[in-house]
Amino acid sequence: MHWGGALFTLCLSASLAASYTNNVPSAISGERYNEDLFIRPLLDGRVATTFTFTTDLLEDVLRDSESSGQHYTLFPLTLGQILEEYSIAELHLTLNSGKWDYDHWGYPDDPSVGTGAELWAWMADGPSSTIDERWTGLRNALAGLFCASLGSLDMRRTSSPSTVFPISSSPSTPHALRYANLPSENVCTENLTPFVKLLPCKSRAGLATLLNPQRIFDADWHGLNIHLRSTEKGTELKLGVQAVFDPVRLSGGRRRDWSFRLLFDRVIHNSCSVAGSSVVRVQVPDGESHALSPTFVADDSAAAVYNLITQVPLDVSMSWPYEHTFQYPRVHQSRLVPLSVQRTLHGSSQIHGLLFIALTNNGQNDIVVGYFENLPALVTLWMHTMEIKVDGVKRDDLISNVTYHPHHVLANGQKSPSTFQATLTIPAASTLHLSMEVSRAFLKYTEHPPDAMRGWDLPPAILFPVCDPTMGICNMRNTSTDVRGRMYTPSLLIDLPTPDFSMPYNVIIFTCTLITLIFGSIFNLLTRSWVIVRVED
Amino acid sequence: MESPLFLPVLATCRLLLAWVHFPVPDGLLIDHQLTSPLTSYFRLKEGLWLYHHGVDPYVGGILKHSPLFLSLFSTVPLGRVAWALSDIVGAWALVRIWRSRQQLGQSRRDGLVGTAYLLNPYLLLPSLASSTSTFENAAVLLTLMFAAEGRPSLALLALALSTHLSLTTLLLVVPVLMLLATSPTSQLASPRLFGESYWKVLRYASEFVVYWFVLVCAASIMAGGVWNWMRESWGASLILPDLTPNPGFWWYFFTEMFDHFRPFFLMVFSTHLVIYVMPVCIKFQHDALYAAFLLLGILGAFKPYLTLADPGLFLSMFAVFPEIYPYLRHAIVTALLHAHASLLLPLFHALWVIEGRGNANFYYAASLVMGIAGGAGIVDACFAGMRIAVGSVPEAERGKWEVIQE
Repeated sequence: MHWGGALFTLCLSASLAASYTNNVPSAISGERYNEDLFIRPLLDGRVATTFTFTTDLLEDVLRDSESSGQHYTLFPLTLGQILEEYSIAELHLTLNSGKWDYDHWGYPDDPSVGTGAELWAWMADGPSSTIDERWTGLRNALAGLFCASLGSLDMRRTSSPSTVFPISSSPSTPHALRYANLPSENVCTENLTPFVKLLPCKSRAGLATLLNPQRIFDADWHGLNIHLRSTEKGTELKLGVQAVFDPVRLSGGRRRDWSFRLLFDRVIHNSCSVAGSSVVRVQVPDGESHALSPTFVADDSAAAVYNLITQVPLDVSMSWPYEHTFQYPRVHQSRLVPLSVQRTLHGSSQIHGLLFIALTNNGQNDIVVGYFENLPALVTLWMHTMEIKVDGVKRDDLISNVTYHPHHVLANGQKSPSTFQATLTIPAASTLHLSMEVSRAFLKYTEHPPDAMRGWDLPPAILFPVCDPTMGICNMRNTSTDVRGRMYTPSLLIDLPTPDFSMPYNVIIFTCTLITLIFGSIFNLLTRSWVIVRVED
Repeated sequence: MESPLFLPVLATCRLLLAWVHFPVPDGLLIDHQLTSPLTSYFRLKEGLWLYHHGVDPYVGGILKHSPLFLSLFSTVPLGRVAWALSDIVGAWALVRIWRSRQQLGQSRRDGLVGTAYLLNPYLLLPSLASSTSTFENAAVLLTLMFAAEGRPSLALLALALSTHLSLTTLLLVVPVLMLLATSPTSQLASPRLFGESYWKVLRYASEFVVYWFVLVCAASIMAGGVWNWMRESWGASLILPDLTPNPGFWWYFFTEMFDHFRPFFLMVFSTHLVIYVMPVCIKFQHDALYAAFLLLGILGAFKPYLTLADPGLFLSMFAVFPEIYPYLRHAIVTALLHAHASLLLPLFHALWVIEGRGNANFYYAASLVMGIAGGAGIVDACFAGMRIAVGSVPEAERGKWEVIQE
């Protein structure tokens, strides 16, 4: 009986698995490719879509050029070459545009939603070339591959916050982290085109058909991400596209019904034949009178699942037939995350200001969270002015593990960013105010960008789950009221005081003239002799 | 002002100003006219925070003060009273300089000399803004006081301290050594060659070098290394890493400078400061105190990271040399230029960085006016100091004879 039951379960799971997979062998010479689209209708009528294209390389190490000629079937060769060249153990590159609204959209399916470009990599520590040289090579190679200004992520923006971005595997050899962010970098079609080229079916078949640049870059929030990490099985490469569409806007402000045709202006005609699995999952909002078509095959944990391999062509659509006009929900009732963050710069002066962070705990339990700032040398934090207040009362006990590294001058005269990291405890149902005075740098006229009056973007601050060393785990992860992953604040725009850009010659002339005038007068007085002369009538 | 009680009362008033919670505007502490990155108390407090939290304060270009300030402020909790006391010490030193120049125990002019220091707005405002230039000025005046009173060891120690606190004070080394070898009394009217033994001067110089090394060692032990603090604190005066505006010439010149000319002009500007030392000391070899006074004027106009406290010291020292007043050619013009500059500087600074209505050129123009005012003061003092030797033309002969330079 016991054995029969086990056999039955095995057969059932095998048949279920077979229904998901194609007839193609699931692993082509140790490589496996899966794709997944997760669609989540949001409370404010928007639709969050997350494309995930996963390629697994079921080997311990990346193939080097000698043994196999670096031949890959599904894994993108261009990326493989870069990873092998610079000994990358883990790589995360994201290019995002827009501000992720945690309060109304909840946690993103991929946590890296910081505005602009963000790159971090764990590199093996050891080979002859130093970490920084390989970091330079890596970002230049990625800049070339993705047509993005990643070369600007230089040492002026690079830091090494290893507790904020921990390595996912536990390697035997020592590894070093390099992290940089560039909030002013915009994601665009020119980044999507090389991105799609890394997929085995390009955009001709499968889920990638839906990646219509005209629609993706029209979305309220959109971003590309590349995550590469080592797992026990081998190397896992996740290419992702996240976008938040607003069907209410697309329908002229009335209805929140959406379909592939409406969101992407395309439908899926055929599936990618090398994909091990190709799934569209739609989160079904509970307790609402919605209609989903076509009918879905499987239903797991409140998500409707469509298998692309058996169900092409596919145009999923969701409608609320009994809703004539969409009503936006009230703001205060719908905080989807336990922690709300605001980060602002106060002060009207161009030289001095106040960096002000308000963290609101929406839950009924205390939240312990890490806070991280990586600020370029455009601004200086004045740590002695740091104040933590809850309801106007100073609470210095709520901050711990403060580490601050001021800028330091690099060999080429540039300044590295300053990093500030601390652990904050936010009491239940209250708001914690963290404030620090900042002053802005006076730059040489050659250091200003051509559009100096636009100002500079300050990178987002990052809130990250704190791991308790005594418990050995990120203890708060398990509770429902906790910060699940990294959270990014919006980036800030600061205007630095500018010199006059047309003045170099004038200033040199005026100043030198004045100095010469005084110098000449003094030496004239000191060197000439005194005489008494008779004044002629 | 002539009452013997006047100065103590004034000093008490200054102390009271520090004691009572006189509402100092927040912006005063970071005002660019009153404090520079080298003298800002705000940065010193940040350096203390870093020091107490185990971060090397001399890494990020934040702290540019001497490590001695760091150790002083980390051990003794000094409030605004320290600045008041330093002001009083400075005024007291200026009065003592005046007395030893006149060879008097006490004079009716003491009150005036003290007032010239304590109530000089160029000195009082930086002091209220907790600028450490107050301590630097007091150290310079103590140096001159001890030198004038003929106490070589104390004078050389004070000189080592003031050059340590502010590298540009090195300009004063030669006149102070000469002053130690000669008398502080006014010799302007009777110029003569420097008759003292050069060995004596050389001995003083070697003593100064010893004190200087001791201070450098103390500072290095304090900062836990030699190069970091030297590069940040003394190097800042030479390579100008921080382009924060100030009333001086340097900041805008090097903001607008082409990158490949920067090292050259940094060299020119530093050399330009030193170039005055020998001519002034040779011309005024008969009156070393006056040479020191003129060099303070040079510093007050051309120093990197100038604040109002630097020209303030020069202007206050005019009170010690009343004999030159009849020979000043354009005292009114100089005074008006200073009035003009001190009104324009805060106004144009606010217009540029706070209001956002003007641009950097406004403030640069005001700093040029400040430069002209400083230059006019030096030129006039230089002229009067030499003109006095020729003597005045008698009343009856006016119009018939003229004293000129050919």
